[in-house]
Amino acid sequence: MASRAEIKPGETIPSVTKAITEKSILEFESTGILNRENIHNNPELAAKRLGTTYTLASGRMSITFASESLRRFFGAEVFNHTATVNLKFLRPVKAGDTITVTGAVSGSEQTDVGTKVSVDIFCDNQDGNRTAVGIGTAVIK
Amino acid sequence: MADAELKIFDYDKAEIGEELGSYEYTLTQEMLDAFRSSVDDPEAQFPTLGVKHDATAFAMVYDDPIGTVNAGNEVEFFNPPIVGKKISVKGRIADKYLRRDKPYIVIEATAIDEDGRLLEKLSTYQLKKPDELGKKWHPEQK
Repeated sequence: MASRAEIKPGETIPSVTKAITEKSILEFESTGILNRENIHNNPELAAKRLGTTYTLASGRMSITFASESLRRFFGAEVFNHTATVNLKFLRPVKAGDTITVTGAVSGSEQTDVGTKVSVDIFCDNQDGNRTAVGIGTAVIK
Repeated sequence: MADAELKIFDYDKAEIGEELGSYEYTLTQEMLDAFRSSVDDPEAQFPTLGVKHDATAFAMVYDDPIGTVNAGNEVEFFNPPIVGKKISVKGRIADKYLRRDKPYIVIEATAIDEDGRLLEKLSTYQLKKPDELGKKWHPEQK
C-alpha cells in the first residue's frame, strides 16, 4: 500500500490474524543470539516461574503482528522509518491461540517533520479475550 | 560473555541508568528467514525484534534466577537492518518502580549498524515477580 497523504480519525487499520503454534514460538526464539532457555522455549522453566502448563509466546511476537498491521496501513516506507509500537500485555499467548490485531486511527498532530498519526491497537485471542492493547504511531508528510 | 561472569540480579541493587551489556552481531539471511517464518510475514523488516536486544543485553550481565514476565514493549523503528551488516547494541536500565507492590524494571536497548544507521530503540517493562502473574492467570493453581 502506498503511503497515505490523508488519514481520518476512526479509519481502521488492516486486520491481521495469526495462528500461534509451538513451532512458531520456538522459531521466533531461535532468531535470538544467546540460545538460552526461557519461559518461551522451556515448559519446565515456565512451570517453575509462572506455574503454567505451557510455554508463552514472546510478547514481541504480538509487537510484530501489530507492526505488520501498521505497515500495511501506512506503507512500508513510512512504517520502517517513522513508526512506533507500544503494547501492554494483558493475557498470556500460547500455542493453539489465534491472535487478531485490529485498530483505528485515534488522532493526529503536526510535528516538525510531518503529521504524526496515532492508532489504537488491540490484540484479541480466539475466545474474544484481549491479550494486548496499545498505541502505534507513524509520521506522514 | 561466559555465564561464570554473570552477576545474580538483585532488584534492590539495580540502579536506574545502569549500563547493561554492549554487543555486536551480524544479521544473517537465516535469522531473517526464521523470523519471517515464525511470524508468518514474508515482508517483516525487523528481525531485530526476535533477537530481543534489550533482554539480550540484560542477560549478558545478569543471571536472574527468579525470572521475569514481559508486561509491555515500546519500540521505535528508524531503519530496517540489512542482512550481512554488523549490528551494535547498547542496553541500560531505564527505570525501576513498584506498581501495586510489584517490582518492575524498564530495560532499553538502542541498535545501530556498522554504517552508523540508527535501526531501532526497544524498551521492555519487566515484572520481576513472575509467579504473581501466574497466579492471576490461573487462580486455581497454587
